Amino acid sequence: MKCESCNKKHATVHLTEIVGTTKKERHLCEECAQGINTQLAKVPSPTEILTSLINQVAPEISEMSKIVCPVCGLSYLEFRSNGRLGCPMDYTIFRKGLIPLLEKMHGSTQHVGKVPSKAGKELIKKNELMQLRNELNKAVEKEDYEKAAELRDRIYELSGDTNED
Amino acid sequence: MNFQATPMKISDLADNTGEWLRGTGAESDIVISSRIRLARNVARFPFLSRANVKQKRELEGIVRNKIKEAEITSDLHYINLANIDPVERLFLVERHLISREHAGGEGERGVAFGKSETISLMVNEEDHLRIQVIRSGFELKEAWKTIDDVDNKLEKKLTYAYSSRFGYLTACPTNVGTGMRASVMLHLPALGMTHHIEKVFNAVMKLGLVVRGLYGEGTQVSGDLYQISNQFTLGKSEPEIIEIIESVIPRITSYERMARKALIAESREQLEDRIWRSYGMLKVARMISSEEIMHLLSQVRMGVNLGIINTIEMKTLNELFILTLPGHLQKLEGRELDSQQRNIIRAAYVRKRLEEI
Repeated sequence: MKCESCNKKHATVHLTEIVGTTKKERHLCEECAQGINTQLAKVPSPTEILTSLINQVAPEISEMSKIVCPVCGLSYLEFRSNGRLGCPMDYTIFRKGLIPLLEKMHGSTQHVGKVPSKAGKELIKKNELMQLRNELNKAVEKEDYEKAAELRDRIYELSGDTNED
Repeated sequence: MNFQATPMKISDLADNTGEWLRGTGAESDIVISSRIRLARNVARFPFLSRANVKQKRELEGIVRNKIKEAEITSDLHYINLANIDPVERLFLVERHLISREHAGGEGERGVAFGKSETISLMVNEEDHLRIQVIRSGFELKEAWKTIDDVDNKLEKKLTYAYSSRFGYLTACPTNVGTGMRASVMLHLPALGMTHHIEKVFNAVMKLGLVVRGLYGEGTQVSGDLYQISNQFTLGKSEPEIIEIIESVIPRITSYERMARKALIAESREQLEDRIWRSYGMLKVARMISSEEIMHLLSQVRMGVNLGIINTIEMKTLNELFILTLPGHLQKLEGRELDSQQRNIIRAAYVRKRLEEI
């Protein structure tokens, strides 16, 4: 078979193009095929392929796909492709994408089991911090800078080892 | 409290097994063991897939030391998995002390366990820490009591990654929340023989539970041994999850007993013949593959349960399921063996054990 394009060389590349419901076959020699390839194919990266696939399947993911965790550097797409999170912070960063996933996996998105006693302390600490911040605001409003400085120090002291959540 | 001063030799374990194979506890004719594991991670560290070599080493050190300080039991041994050879890791997998993933992992990782092998603590598995408790028979509630206590002791020493919304934060979102997987290992030969096992699976799946083979996720069923465990870990408390599994097990065990009764009623001779042939094979064969032995042991185990064979202890049979696995045979022989050599040694080992009776 001769090349359709130059009609000189032997056709060694056989392309099948599908447009709508019609199938079109093309038979080309290597040289002519390369010409077409450079026009057609800027070969997309695996991430691009994945993104376009995901866009077709689940548009809500495309919104998430740009998000990267500032702590561990994991992107949402990487998480979706291997199913593993990179750090505890990802649960906060990817929250929007995770909630429907968790709902599907567990039928729930709210933990009701064991609470570490330390987490109990953390909760207390959090509440205390909130209160101190309120007092600080009031002190600043009243221009009571001595009290404000004192409150600020206590806030620093408390939040120094506060747990992220 | 320190770990045991004398380093443990894995070969010292090769000729016995953990307490969970004793064949004691509730419904132990059908329920081999009850197991619970908790997944935990240390706050302010990345999960292991994003941790670099230095962070992994640091985590291994922290978790190992905290396990030591937590005074869990007085006889905990710690083994650094990076320092032992693959056969020894396989050996620990076969004993259910570590997971296959942990054995095949990379870098600094280890396991601590006591002499009874009831408690094991995996360091740097998929999560920073995986605590496991296994007990003989249908003893999930007791297993929960033990593991909850171990977890409380560790929690005093370690700050876990935890959120009030999502619970214990894990590397894989399928474990988040309680981080708990509770499972019961069942021996269901009659349901297999009568092809009723599928019905059991369907009923179990409707409750949100999953059925797996002997070594958990992705493993094949052999020896008619099945593990039933919870799939969901979020949205229900630990006791609620245990309750769901506990409610379904008695139904499965009575179904299995019914199937056994029906087999006896309908074809007693055939059943007895099958069981005695399996027993005979174990006593005389010169080569047995690992697949074949699981099948033979399963038949004989049912024979013992039905009172057809009454010269073998349940403990011996339960142990043979584990002691004849490739890692154990190689440890027992103290050298690497190819599959044909293993088949010869496996047959010889079983003959010896059954002659002792």
